Amino acid sequence: MSSSDQNPAATPASGGPAEPAPPGRPTTVSSQVLDVGAQLVQALKPVRQMKQHACSFALYAYDLHRQMEVHHFVSRLNQDVLQCAVYDSDKPSARLIGTRRRRLFSAAPARRAVTKITVVMMAGVEYIVSDTIFEGLPPDEQRLWHSHAYEVKAGLWTDVGVPESLQSSEMASLAKTYSKFWCTWQVDRGDALPLGAPALMVSPHAAEPGRARGELVRGRDERYRIDSSAGGLKAARVEMDEPEWINPNADYWRLHRKGFAVDVVQAEMKRHAPFP
Amino acid sequence: MASSCHNVEVPGKPTETGTALLETATGTIQGFAPLNQIHQHLCAFHFYADDMGRQVEAHHFCAHLNEDVRQCLIFDGPGAGARLIGVEYIVSEEVFLTLPDGEKPLWHTHEFEVKGGVLFMPGVPGVVERRDLEKVCKTYGKTIHFWQVDRGDALPLGLPQIMMALTREGQLRQDLADCVEKKFGVSFHKETENRAYMSGPEHGIHPLANAAGKGLRTEIREVDIPASTTAGAGRVFT
Repeated sequence: MSSSDQNPAATPASGGPAEPAPPGRPTTVSSQVLDVGAQLVQALKPVRQMKQHACSFALYAYDLHRQMEVHHFVSRLNQDVLQCAVYDSDKPSARLIGTRRRRLFSAAPARRAVTKITVVMMAGVEYIVSDTIFEGLPPDEQRLWHSHAYEVKAGLWTDVGVPESLQSSEMASLAKTYSKFWCTWQVDRGDALPLGAPALMVSPHAAEPGRARGELVRGRDERYRIDSSAGGLKAARVEMDEPEWINPNADYWRLHRKGFAVDVVQAEMKRHAPFP
Repeated sequence: MASSCHNVEVPGKPTETGTALLETATGTIQGFAPLNQIHQHLCAFHFYADDMGRQVEAHHFCAHLNEDVRQCLIFDGPGAGARLIGVEYIVSEEVFLTLPDGEKPLWHTHEFEVKGGVLFMPGVPGVVERRDLEKVCKTYGKTIHFWQVDRGDALPLGLPQIMMALTREGQLRQDLADCVEKKFGVSFHKETENRAYMSGPEHGIHPLANAAGKGLRTEIREVDIPASTTAGAGRVFT
């Protein structure tokens, strides 16, 4: 019925321009007022727990050449387990895309600027666990997880806007962790809405086909004034402890040269009442 | 506020003081725009698209992308220690109708949950809550869960699960309903009367929505990884 590695059928929801935006009207004032009202009385505690913002790159487990910049908002459950809301960027942006003629007989200037507001799409969820926890998982489960050592030491994963001296101990711990990342909106493919089955993601590595593309990394580095080059973060992190051992069940593609795709198929629903 | 109606203990050591302090310090320097757009907390129930009996109390923390599209993080409770168990995207009927037919079954309707009072905004007075829920009543949602807390998983194991929503009387488990009503001091039954005026999608519930009335399951498949990209693949023989 739907697969993570299948391109969606051509509709307004799919295969859009390079910068997809979901279809729909601008948020109305009444909706905004309702939102503000709700915020006044609702504590939103689980969201407030997301205290760290990190940026990195993720690759699709079914095609490592499909890569995207990802922004993680990280919440710590305990010393060994973290959970992250993942977005395709960290801020909405307004971009001038042209001008539009004003009506005749208007006192305003003949043409006015038209800006396109891009929104921040929720791309998925990532879970991070310590090596101790990871070693306790069954091998079939471990195959769905990826390691972080290369990504961190190469300066690809970094806390945004935080000096290296402040984040280095956190990064050193992260280098020894493993993650499971499900992507629910394939933004890089131009989907204007979250289509298809969820996709498993993996981390970048030194060797092809797992290398993060140069222009993706450079673009990110320029925008966030990060230097992940050999002279920058890579040098700063060269002394960082490597994990003594990376479990070979993680990063499944490296040993097996195979990826994973997810299918959503029709099935019998066990039911105790009529549906729908 | 009380925690989840599902009992799950996440393995791992308690957070060290140093770690917590560092994260608070670094957190103050960074920008959190996507999270700052989350303005609303909604509580509802989901069940697995292949098993109606497995039901989950789902706390949605939602942001508007625009008037027609929302995106929500789903936690298993309203407290600071709640587990992030899934996501939901919510779209207006107009946007739903543009989805490819193969996609529509993965989406569910909200009409029954809203009119039945089981979808609510904890802490928000009914008069205010209803002004938004009358819009939600007409929407469609796509929910994916990653952490099966209802079966006691201490970690997010296995494949992502497509979830469905309640569509009629008799589906919601009484024990779960009682637990949630008690925890939040609400009465689903009373709220139904207040919401009788609301209406669902203008064109009625689409026949392909709600798993087209059948069920759905996720499976994983090994695939060959493409050797090179189509763009920039070098030619070996010119």
